[in-house]
Amino acid sequence: MTPRTVEDALIRCERVTKSYRKGENTITPLEELDLEVPRGDFLALMGPSGSGKTTLLNLIAGIDRPSGGRLFVGGTDIATLSRGRLADWRSEHVGYVFQLYNLVPVLTAYENVELPLLLRTMTGDERHRRVRTALELVGIADRHDHFPRQLSGGQEQRVAIARAIVADPTILVADEPTGDLDRESAAAIMDLLCRLNAELGKTLIVVTHDASCAQHAKRTLTLEKGRLIGSPAGVQA
Amino acid sequence: MIPPRLVPLVLKQLVRHRVRTGLTAAGVAVAMFLFVGVETLQQGVRRATGAAADDTTLIVYRENRFCPATSRLPQDYVRRIEAVPGVVSAVPVKIVVNNCRASLDVITYRGIPATDSGGVGSIAGKWEFLAGSLEATASRSDAAIVGETLASRRKFKVGDSFDASGITVVVAGIIRSSEPQDQNVAYVHLEFLQRAAGKGGGLGVVTQFTVRVADPARQKEIASAIDDLFRTEADPTTTRPEKAFVAQAGADIVAIVGFTQWIGWGSLAAVLGLVANSIVLSVQDRVREHAVLQTLGFRSGLIARLIISEGMLVGILGGAVGTGIALAVIRSGSFSLSQEGMSVPIEASWSMLLLGLGLSTGVGLLAGLVPGWRAGRTEIASCFRAV
Repeated sequence: MTPRTVEDALIRCERVTKSYRKGENTITPLEELDLEVPRGDFLALMGPSGSGKTTLLNLIAGIDRPSGGRLFVGGTDIATLSRGRLADWRSEHVGYVFQLYNLVPVLTAYENVELPLLLRTMTGDERHRRVRTALELVGIADRHDHFPRQLSGGQEQRVAIARAIVADPTILVADEPTGDLDRESAAAIMDLLCRLNAELGKTLIVVTHDASCAQHAKRTLTLEKGRLIGSPAGVQA
Repeated sequence: MIPPRLVPLVLKQLVRHRVRTGLTAAGVAVAMFLFVGVETLQQGVRRATGAAADDTTLIVYRENRFCPATSRLPQDYVRRIEAVPGVVSAVPVKIVVNNCRASLDVITYRGIPATDSGGVGSIAGKWEFLAGSLEATASRSDAAIVGETLASRRKFKVGDSFDASGITVVVAGIIRSSEPQDQNVAYVHLEFLQRAAGKGGGLGVVTQFTVRVADPARQKEIASAIDDLFRTEADPTTTRPEKAFVAQAGADIVAIVGFTQWIGWGSLAAVLGLVANSIVLSVQDRVREHAVLQTLGFRSGLIARLIISEGMLVGILGGAVGTGIALAVIRSGSFSLSQEGMSVPIEASWSMLLLGLGLSTGVGLLAGLVPGWRAGRTEIASCFRAV
């Protein structure tokens, strides 16, 4: 593995803490976490339920904010961005793949993939070309006019991945992308993610419970009770 | 409001939730139908009774009488009225109606002299003949010139004869007039109507005088001068501007129509509640979807505007259908609300179409504001945790 410096790190978490109130209690899913992820990495985050994997992923993706510490992505401390600027940042830098796909049910596969591009100024032809390319890349172009209810779980996840990559984001994050799929479909999805990392150089962070899925990653980190254990930040697990 | 490239996204949400959209739009349509119907009545009352700065018409009626059947004035008052300074013309008018009560289908005969001065010539300047001609009335005593609304409602054509209150006339012309009262009456020869209505004994007696004055600002002064002339006569008079006279003669109608404005506003409130409820339910159903859109980079304000646009489009759709049907019914029915021989026209107008569309759009927008704002402000992570 190539040694990294702070400047190499695409993502750098410095003593990041996340806590929120739930009724009378304060929940702290992440506590003073340090982490560096270099550009082009494929990182698997593992750990038991409630260990803070998804919280960390959400913080890195900019859909949640840390309660303490600093979180740099591409040199930007995203915790300091306003709500609107953070939305713009997400549209430019983040592709998010959900466990339950979260496709918009009234839109076809094509229209779901097109969504991120509707935020950008480009011609209809350019938009069409990029959507077609993304659909072909994930091998679902022939189902472009199908609604989510007409697709299998694996096919829906392919559409979700196409939606995540269509705007050419800097980081691709996936929260249990195979958690709702059978073994065969899960393997196919992980192969696809590996290809995106290897061929397109996408920085990829995947949360998973499944060790066989984690084996596809270049390195694995384990979280427990909001802290990284076993594998120090930035070190091959 | 939203970039054009996002308009198809809003349309797809509406079209592909067609049951919800259809039911909401249908509710809006029913409410807007009611609102436009009521507002058209209000507009008719305003047109018939609202005074304008350039009004020059006075009505001289028998004092303390409001019904054509009981207002009886000597026809020869006309010469003394014409002599009052400031009066341009005075036309003696005999009015016979087939129904004194408030009704949507009253036939009102107005008998006026067939003379150029002090007769039909004094008021025909505001008429546009849609069929027949003024000259055609000269050839027969039972000729009638019928207002466009009455002709349309009863489907009269030139040459048709009709009977009301036991008086049979023949249609010699159909007119359109800028005066609301002309649109719903049948003008006939005064002497013919006096004979027919009074069984030969009504000659020399009229219901009212229609007086034109030169200076609108002097209406009040001239009205007083006319009433002073006849104060000590056996048949004293009360003279008022025409619009004020209509408002008093049709006071029941004006009061009822005034009350119906609450139905109109109630309908609008129903539209607001209906669309807001539909949007709130829709937003609740799509919490996760909106969180996904935010994850993709849609700003809070943009999500709010998408939701508001949905409300506006449902409002426009329902408003267009409801307003369109209401105006079509009003146009095809050629209704006119009449009482004591006075008419309140109920007419479809482009301004009403614009009002209906504008209000339903505005209500749709208003209904989407709060749900849109709340959907846009939701924390993304909490949506995925909660759902």
